[in-house]
Formats: sequence, C-alpha cells, structure tokens
Amino acid sequence: MAANFWTSSHYKQLFDQEYVDVVLPLDKEKGITLEDFKLIKMHMASYISKLAQHVKVRQRVVATAVTYMRRVYTRKSMSEYDPRLVAPTCLYLASKAEESTVQAKLLVFYIRKIYSDEKYRYEIKDILEMEMKILEALDYYLVVYHPYRSLSQLLQDAGLNDISMTQLTWGVVNDTYKMDLALVHPPHLIALACIYIASVLREKDTTAWFEELRVDMNVVKNISMEILDFYENHRMIPDERFNAALNKLAFKP
Amino acid sequence: MASAAAGQINTEELPSWGSRSVDCFEKLEQIGEGTYGQVFMARETRTGEIVALKKIRMDNEKEGFPITAIREIKILKRLHHENVVKLKEIVTSTGPEGDEQGNQDGNKSKGGIYMVFEYMDHDLTGLADRPGLRFTVPQIKCYMKQLLTGLHYCHVNQVLHRDIKGSNLLIDNEGKLKLADFGLARSFCSNHEGNLTNRVITLWYRPPELLLGATKYGPAVDIWSVGCIFAELLHGKPILQGRSEPDQLNKIFELCGSPDEINWPDVSKSPWYNNFKPTRTMKRRVREIFRHFDSHALDLLDQLLALDPNQRCTAKQALDAEYFWADPLPCDPKSLPKYESSHEFQTKKKKQQRRQTEEITKGSKSQHYHKHYRLPPIQHTGQAPPQWYGPNHPINDAQPPLSAGPSHHHYGKPHGPPGGPSRYPPGNQGGPYHLNRGGQVGGYSGGPYPPQGRAPPYAGSGMAAPSSRGAPGGYGVGPPNYSQTNQYGIPAAGRGVNIRNQQYGRQ
Repeated sequence: MAANFWTSSHYKQLFDQEYVDVVLPLDKEKGITLEDFKLIKMHMASYISKLAQHVKVRQRVVATAVTYMRRVYTRKSMSEYDPRLVAPTCLYLASKAEESTVQAKLLVFYIRKIYSDEKYRYEIKDILEMEMKILEALDYYLVVYHPYRSLSQLLQDAGLNDISMTQLTWGVVNDTYKMDLALVHPPHLIALACIYIASVLREKDTTAWFEELRVDMNVVKNISMEILDFYENHRMIPDERFNAALNKLAFKP
Repeated sequence: MASAAAGQINTEELPSWGSRSVDCFEKLEQIGEGTYGQVFMARETRTGEIVALKKIRMDNEKEGFPITAIREIKILKRLHHENVVKLKEIVTSTGPEGDEQGNQDGNKSKGGIYMVFEYMDHDLTGLADRPGLRFTVPQIKCYMKQLLTGLHYCHVNQVLHRDIKGSNLLIDNEGKLKLADFGLARSFCSNHEGNLTNRVITLWYRPPELLLGATKYGPAVDIWSVGCIFAELLHGKPILQGRSEPDQLNKIFELCGSPDEINWPDVSKSPWYNNFKPTRTMKRRVREIFRHFDSHALDLLDQLLALDPNQRCTAKQALDAEYFWADPLPCDPKSLPKYESSHEFQTKKKKQQRRQTEEITKGSKSQHYHKHYRLPPIQHTGQAPPQWYGPNHPINDAQPPLSAGPSHHHYGKPHGPPGGPSRYPPGNQGGPYHLNRGGQVGGYSGGPYPPQGRAPPYAGSGMAAPSSRGAPGGYGVGPPNYSQTNQYGIPAAGRGVNIRNQQYGRQ
C-alpha cells in the first residue's frame, strides 16, 4: 500500500542538510554565498506568501509552493532560474496541484501590484514557460505532505488543542517554510518540534507526553533549535540585504 | 548524474531526475484517445520494450500545464498496485523552448509532454467487442475481482477514479486487468465535504446521484460504474444506454425502480430532483430483467446497482460477495487465453473501415444480416445447474452443458481455438457506430450519447436462425423501450448467437 507519507515520493525526496545547502557552481561564480542562498529562498517564501494572500489561496497551497521552490533550487541554479519568476510560478503550479487553481493573469496582476520594481515583472507566457521547467525540475513529483494534518491530531492527543496553543503552533509551522526544514525532515517531526517550542513558550509541561511518543527526541530538539535559531537571527532582515543578494544574480541587465 | 547538458534533451540514459526525450521511443500506432490527448503504442529504441505513450495536449491551454494531467500524474505517482496502470516516466519532446520542430503531429513549436505507461494489449471494451469472442464465467469473475481490487486500493487511498468504463480497463495477455486513465480522478477527503463536479463519468456508467446533481459524493460513484460493467459483461452489451442525461436517469429508474424517501432517504433533497423526478412509480426490476444471471451474480449486481449511494456496497464488500467464492471460482489470470491486441480505439476503427468498404460494395439495405454483437457468457440460471465447469477450466472445453432450467445454455459445440480476425466473415457492420462512445469524453461534457453503440436493435439481430424455443425472455417482459435494445429474452436471437458461434468458433 502506498499513498501515505512513508511510501511517497516526498519521503524518498528528503535530503541531507548538506545537500540542500549546496550552492550550485553557476551561482557560486556570481558570488552567491550560502547565506545569500538562504536569504533569497527566505525572501521568495515571503513573496509566495504575500502573493497568496492577494489571490486568496489556503496556507497549504503556500506551503506546497514554497516546498516546490526549495526543491527546484537543489537542482537548478538561481542564475538560470530567476527566483522572481520561479516563486510566482511555484504558487501557480501548487494552486493547481492543491485544487485551488489561480489564473495566471490574476497572478501577473498582483505581481505588479506588490512590486513596482521592473525586475519582478513577468508576463503570463513567462510563467507558463517556467511552469514546464519547474515540472521537469521537480521530476513531476507534485505531492507534498505538510505538518498541518498531523498537527491537529497531535495537539488533540496531547490535550493541548485550545485555541491559543493551536494558533501559536500553527504560526510556528508556517514559519518553518522560511527554512529548508520541509526538505530535510518528515512533516510529523516538524509538527512535534513546533509543538515543543509552543509548549515551552506557553509553559505547558509536555515531558511525559513526549516521552510516550516513540520518536527520536534528539531530532525533535534539533529541529526546534533550528527554528529558534531562525527566530533569533532572521526575524528582521532589511530588504536591502535581500536585494543585495539578488543583485548578484543580475538578471535582466 | 546522468542529466543531459544544458539546453539538450537527454536521449540516452534514465536520468536520476529530469526527463528524457520522446525521441527515445519510436511511435508505432495510435491506440487510443485519452481525456486530453492521443495514446500511441511505441517502442523504446534502446531496450525494444513496448510502451504506451500518452500525449498531453498543450496547444489549447491558456492555463499552462492542464490540471487534468496534473491530477493524473499526482495520483499515478502515488498509487502503486498491480491493478492500477503503472506510469513509468514522463518524457518531453523538444522542450518548451521549441528550438526544433520534431513533432509529427503538426503541432507548432510548442513542446509536447508524454506520459509513458506500461503497454497493455487490450482494453475491456476492445476485447469484448472482438468478433465472436465470448468470455467465460470464471474469466468474468477474474476480471471483476481485479477491477474491484484495484478500485478498493484507490478508494482506500482516497482516490475516486470517476471514469470507470470498459475502455479504461486495460488487460494484458497475462490476464491482468489494470485501471487506467486517471484524467478525471480526484483525491477526496472523507471528512472534508468538498464540492466536486457532477459532470464526470461517461453517461452510460454514471450513477443516479450525479445525474441528480450531487456535488458531494464518494467512492460509491465508481461502484455504480462497476455494476454497469458487471452487468454488461454478463449481458453482452451495455445495459443503460441513455441518449441524454434525462434519458439516462429514466433508463436507470426503469431498471432500478424510481427513487423515493424509503429506498433512498433524502433523495428529494438532490439539487435536480424536482427537474428529473420520475412521473410514475416504477418498481425495481434488476432481478427480473437479469434473471438469466446466476443467483450470486444477481445478488452482487443488486448491491452494486443500489440507487441510494449509501446503500451501495463498497469495493471491499463486493469482493467479499459470495459470487467470488462460489463455483466456478474466478480463474487464474494467467490461465486466460491470449488474444491479439485489441483496443476499443482500434476495434472501432476497424469496424468503421469495414462498414465503409461494405457501404461501397453492397447496397446499404442488405446489412442487417449477421450483425455483430457481443456474446454474453454462458450462464446457469437459478437452479443448480447440472454441470459446472471447474475453476481454471475454460468453459469451451467442457462438455456441452445440458439444457436445464430456463435455458440459456443452448450452446452446443465446443469452440474452436482462438483464431485471428480472419476467421470472422468480413463486413456486416450495419449498426450505427459512434465515435464519441468510449475513449472520447463526450460523456461528462454532457453531450448526448448514441442510443446504441454496439448492439443492433432487436429487429436486426441475428434473426437468420429462426427458432421457436420458448424460453421466457427477460427483457421481453420489460417496458417497451427495453425490448428494443436487447437480444435476450428473444429466444430466436439467442439461438442466432449460438449458431454463429459454432460456425466461427471463439476468437
């Protein structure tokens, strides 16, 4: 039997952190550092999220789109695949894959609204063309599992499913898409890490509950550390830093 | 990594990711027309392996890669089962950049995308339409069991197929049946009451709840289609050949009775109930009309064709039905005879060609002799039959069964061995043949269906062998429009079948 996470392409496509952190040669030549690479992906995740709010699609579509974008950049260089085109196209493709189709022209309309910058301007045909390239880069694996589903079950099981905990954890899960976590860890462990963080913040004692789960708490704690690290270091990043990183790529001269 | 250099298409090895070019394959012949493009039989140049290539039509797409293709790819990439067709890979032709024009189909510079499937020799409709071919009961059980097993797997994995019909059930020469064409399939959530479209499933196989406008539905829609196919296999032709949506509903009601709050609670809340509600009360006649089926088959059919989707059995329940566990048992797929490749698309084309030549050579009037229609299997009705053919035992090798009971086994002589189509007399395809039946997707776009795809009307059907055997006919006592479309219950027609069979043997 397939069609659960463990037999899915998603499971088979979990990568090592080192693999995800490889800056491809073409980008390296242009002076892109690992930090730049991460920043650009983070910025594009926010771009996708912003765009999604305008075209009104579910968080799940955003999560899938961001995962697509991150997967693409394990295989394709940013020099060849402009992030400013890849990001909206991933949202476009994810909206189809998640059954909440958004018209390409609507996306193009809101892209203009969000960014007046010429560098973000792309037409419908650019998106459609990039869609094919992305499909290929993804090897047509389009199913992505997310922590959201296990989240509500786990919260309920832990007896933490009050509104405040649910909202907090949900928000933390949303923030995990600003990192590469979804490419490296299975969704239920990410969900657990988010619950762990939220329970510490809200001073709920979940030790006993976590002990009963047969999971590697070290992994959960490592994921939690990574999330906390992100909150500490990347909460506020001035736009100039994104732009400086993006400018190294020098598209549309 | 075996990926091709930038800007080039990989025609060599299987890359660890990315896709190869369609140039790795040599197209041999068109074998079908899918939801969104043609299907070709092709040979992989390097290995010689025969595959099916399904082209994803991109020319009319304003919204890029078609969502139907996305659904199908998404679903097929996560379904892995021996009764679900295997998507081997996806290949592209002269990428989206369109630098080269290697397309035989006269498409513009746009690149094409092909889904590569394992090749299957037949589809169920194509096979059933083979002149002179008659399925045995163990064979039908074997196909039904595989169909239900595959469907159960889909349903457990929360996938609705939404286009179950003969031409989407592929069969290989090992007797394996696989569900194909997931172009209309969708994931469903049992808790999430999503609004789904009711414009799915080819009309003849569409369940009453969809015809009544339901947008919240589940696996039961596929089960209805299975019921239609099951009855079709036993009966020898499609059982509910509606011409339009209202006509389809009407035919369903005539067979299954009119729905009311007792046999189908809340039916009157269906969106289109008031537009389509039956004008008179009709009683359920499944068991009467198909009384020539054996009792286990009838029990199963009755549950598959329950009007109320909530009362329809599930794939799992159907697999547990006595039918599959009573003699004759479903045969081993491998024991089934091997046939020359047949797909509905091809059989249709052949028939058309035959008809055309015939229309040229003959006058158009003399055609209603020897019209071809499917042969229903030999079945034992009601009472315990005098002789059972054992499992794994082709019926044709059995002793001619004695006529017992209301006699539907007036079947005298063993068939000859399977033979090529040449054993069948040429020509004689009189009946109207409609291209949009089957592979085409007219069904869910609401287009009217031809009243009769394959089966000739009573008047034309094999009356060449008059007989006065007086077995009471099933359909004969049905409502007037039933008696039009059947060969059953008219004993003479039944005799005709047999005589033809003796003459031409099984093919």
